[in-house]
Amino acid sequence: MGFIPVFIWSFVLWLVLTAGSKGMLWSPEELVAGVVFSGIIAFTTKDIIGEKASRFLNPAKWVGFVVYSIGPLFWGMVKANLDVAYRVITGRIKPGIVRVPVDLENDAQYTILSNSITLTPGTLTVDACPEEKALYVHWINVTEKEPESSEVIAGSFEKWARRLGR
Amino acid sequence: MKSDMGLIVKTTARATIPLIGIFGAYVVSHGHLTPGGGFQGGATIAGAGILFLIAFGLGEMKRRYNHHLYSALEGLGGLVFLGAAMLGLGVAFFYNTLWQGGPVFNGQPGTLLSAGYLPIMNLAVGLKVFAGLVSAMVAIAAYRRWKE
Repeated sequence: MGFIPVFIWSFVLWLVLTAGSKGMLWSPEELVAGVVFSGIIAFTTKDIIGEKASRFLNPAKWVGFVVYSIGPLFWGMVKANLDVAYRVITGRIKPGIVRVPVDLENDAQYTILSNSITLTPGTLTVDACPEEKALYVHWINVTEKEPESSEVIAGSFEKWARRLGR
Repeated sequence: MKSDMGLIVKTTARATIPLIGIFGAYVVSHGHLTPGGGFQGGATIAGAGILFLIAFGLGEMKRRYNHHLYSALEGLGGLVFLGAAMLGLGVAFFYNTLWQGGPVFNGQPGTLLSAGYLPIMNLAVGLKVFAGLVSAMVAIAAYRRWKE
């Protein structure tokens, strides 16, 4: 069941690694070797990747990931880096750990949101608790001690994470 | 005692373990073309196994890990290496008979199927290193207790 997503996932990495073996493309022996090795990897790790990993084979989701990473995520990182540079120079910090309630359903959504929050400087996810539907975030400049939603910390990231990980 | 990691580490490990595995396979199978080879690639793949052990905990690892299988794989790696070395015994031990007019692995230098028995030996060493390192790490992790 998990065989096909792992196979495609690892075969794509193989194609990236061996690109250029015949001009700009792949020689047939590299392709055959890639199929064999991806098959072995997929057979051995098909139980690890998770039961519903095949939902990430949807091309609409890939477009979503690309749009998210070069759009909101990149822009959020630029803004947050400048903000942290400002705080480094002026020394105006008020650090603290806050509990952020989130409305997510599965592991992938929690991972996407947590990594996005950690990637934007000034905020760092300490722990994700799916049982109480909350993230614990270390924040460089606490403006709200008990936020009602993740809007103040992550902006639109939660909406994107809910859509991408569904 | 809870011996596994949190949700984020586990989910990331689910996605990255196949990638580490295929990268290790790439290093092993291109040992005669690019830097790396059997030991480096095998250690990389063993890193995927150790990531699984750390992220999911010893209990899960014990359920998936078969001591006899890994022991057999390690022995198989050594035997394949020795078998490839024996192929040219008519001339000398380690004589690369596949390269000197053999049926396979005699392509244009720089392509995947070249260099005679080297790819076979790289694969054998990679398998042996992977199985050996994972077995060693599981044995250390399963050591009974900290003190008597």
